[in-house]
Amino acid sequence: MIRLSGRFRSALIIGIQGIRARKMRTFLSMVSLFLGVLAVVVVQAGAETVEQAQLANLAVQVGKDGTRQAYLPGSPESVRVSNETLANRPDGVVIATRQAIVGEPGVVPVNPGGTPFDQPGGYGGPGGPMYCDQYGCRPISPGGGDAGTPVPGQAIELTLNTLTGDIRQFKPFRQVSGEWLEFTSAPSLAPRLVLNLEAAKGFNRHQVPAEMRIDGTTANPTPRIIGVVDDGSPQPVAYSRTDELANWISPNTAASEFGPGLQVMLAPTAGELERLLILRLTATGTPADQIHFETIQARENIARDLALIRWIFLGMASLVLLIGVAGILNVGLATVGERVEEFALRRAVGTSRLLLAGIVLAETLLTGLLTATAAIGASALALSAAGALLADQAPFLEDMVFPWRAGVAGVIAGLVAGLLGGLIPAIRAARIPIATVMRA
Amino acid sequence: MTALLELHGITKTLKGQRTPRTILDGVDLTVESGESVAILGRSGSGKSTLLSLIGLFDRPDGGRYLLGGQDITRLSERRAAALRSAEFGFVFQRFFLLKHLTAAQNVAMALVNGQGWLPRRKRRARTMAALDQVGIAHLAKHRPARLSGGEQQRVAVARALVREPRLLLADEPTGALDTETGNLVIEVMRSATERGCGLILVTHDRDHANKMRRVLRLDDGVLNPATTTPDEAWTPHSAGMQAAPSGAGPTPESAAGVSAPDGADPTREGVPR
Ligand SMILES: Nc1ncnc2c1ncn2[C@@H]1O[C@H](COP(=O)(O)OP(=O)(O)OP(=O)(O)O)[C@@H](O)[C@H]1O
Ligand SMILES: [Mg+2]
Repeated sequence: MIRLSGRFRSALIIGIQGIRARKMRTFLSMVSLFLGVLAVVVVQAGAETVEQAQLANLAVQVGKDGTRQAYLPGSPESVRVSNETLANRPDGVVIATRQAIVGEPGVVPVNPGGTPFDQPGGYGGPGGPMYCDQYGCRPISPGGGDAGTPVPGQAIELTLNTLTGDIRQFKPFRQVSGEWLEFTSAPSLAPRLVLNLEAAKGFNRHQVPAEMRIDGTTANPTPRIIGVVDDGSPQPVAYSRTDELANWISPNTAASEFGPGLQVMLAPTAGELERLLILRLTATGTPADQIHFETIQARENIARDLALIRWIFLGMASLVLLIGVAGILNVGLATVGERVEEFALRRAVGTSRLLLAGIVLAETLLTGLLTATAAIGASALALSAAGALLADQAPFLEDMVFPWRAGVAGVIAGLVAGLLGGLIPAIRAARIPIATVMRA
Repeated sequence: MTALLELHGITKTLKGQRTPRTILDGVDLTVESGESVAILGRSGSGKSTLLSLIGLFDRPDGGRYLLGGQDITRLSERRAAALRSAEFGFVFQRFFLLKHLTAAQNVAMALVNGQGWLPRRKRRARTMAALDQVGIAHLAKHRPARLSGGEQQRVAVARALVREPRLLLADEPTGALDTETGNLVIEVMRSATERGCGLILVTHDRDHANKMRRVLRLDDGVLNPATTTPDEAWTPHSAGMQAAPSGAGPTPESAAGVSAPDGADPTREGVPR
């Protein structure tokens, strides 16, 4: 142990002396290696950043990892049972999805089918506007005019999600303005709505009267818009409390042909609740084979999707790194040529071949490590600069920390490059014959 | 009492392009601890080759090599490196100082060689003691570019002595120095033999050779007792050498030793065969 550490320390001392004596050369080696290590670090950091961003988006759009969710048939009975079972439960929420039109009565909305506003026609193909939900898309009959020419007018069609509890524990929406729904107070008669960004865009563009028509209702409530959130959806969506809309929707009238889309989200810890819900649903006639709870596993899926791209980019980065290795090798070989006398002398005073090779390697490894440090520092700086500059376009960059795995990748790349670039010079140095060099 | 060094029938043959050339042809040599031996010989007679075999830079093709009674004719590279570190000190005609290191660091490099680790304070103490021994402790922080030839060679001698070797090998150490500085360097090395260190000095300088206890000649790979002819005994420099030293060198006390060389009464024994 002591002998080993003595050798190691000797190698370190001599290596540092060598680097200090040849600062310019060391610098040139570093320059050639810098880009390669930088490429590796940037690819790694980029991949992690994209993965984080995707994950954040997916959590908002689909739900956090580990959440248990199920899509249920939207029969009046299953809607009622689900709502009752999950009422006042903090660890689960029932989401009923319906189409709603806000605005003038008897006109075709500006976005028939609830399509995004900057996408005229929406999903409407030759068969007319479509209605899309988690079951897929199907043609819908244009609202308003039952025959002949429907009149386009100031109305907006959107997807209305009614919630029995706070969905943000599963989908962390970002509040853009106003407030979010609160579920503790008594339900208000005028249903409160929270819009998503796309819906808010529609309401900003079009002056629409505050009157809401919902699939399968006859009485039209006057909604109050209390806030805007970013839910990652490209389509206009509104959220409201189930109990505030219950007054307007008769639970016994079949909402539409298919009923509302019915989704249940449960916390990973709510296993008891899940069993209770399934029990009650099957007891009230919902076929057991239509109840499928699944766990959201976005991270795994993303990782799989990104892995290939990441490997391709890492491959390209390795090529750049290889050029850096060639640079180190070039400088290293030239240096060994210059230091023939030094190496012969060191062996003459008792340094073994192995240690001498170790010293040459130690120097290139140190160079590689220094380069890695510089490259990691540079990309960390670049990341924080990008975060500051692009915070508006990419909010996830704002609180992005430098991924430690990118740092590790950079250090490994630097060390591997040092090893590859230093090996041949090290072998050459070890082979220098003392007797020939030291001959007077 | 076993001799410090024993060579028996050492041969070295170079495998040339066509015919192998014998450079050393059955060399026998015994050196006792604290003994000083000079080796003279024409250029190309194999003196440096002999030193490189003794110093374990290279291996002989035949014969036996005993160091302190131990046969070290065939050694692994690791053992050879350890022996080079512990047993031998080398001084060459060219000083072989590393120009990016200070005098002290150049001396300390013999301690930072992966053999027997010393902590920094002990390294420094040893280094300064060695520099003091050759009389240039005050130049410890200077780089070789700022040292005179004689000072540089004394740094090299300090480097050779810093591990307190049993045998000092010097290959024309004064070849690049003027007579006065040459004398100084020889004197520094000779004083090391007074502490029990053996010395083998390869030189072209008759006066320096005469300061050693024994003088040998290497002729075409064969080692003989030196035969002195009158014109060899007195070179033009030798008279001046006796008078010059006082105040000439940077350290008068070490120079003072030159005026009383034991070479005045050189013992010229034959090599025991
Ligand atoms: N590596 C080598 N390749 C070829 N020839 C060599 C080699 N080493 C030594 N020789 C030859 O061996 C002979 C002895 O060389 P060596 O250096 O030992 O002589 P020397 O006595 O030290 O000479 P000088 O006084 O000039 O230093 C010379 O003829 C030299 O040409
Ligand atoms: Mg020679």
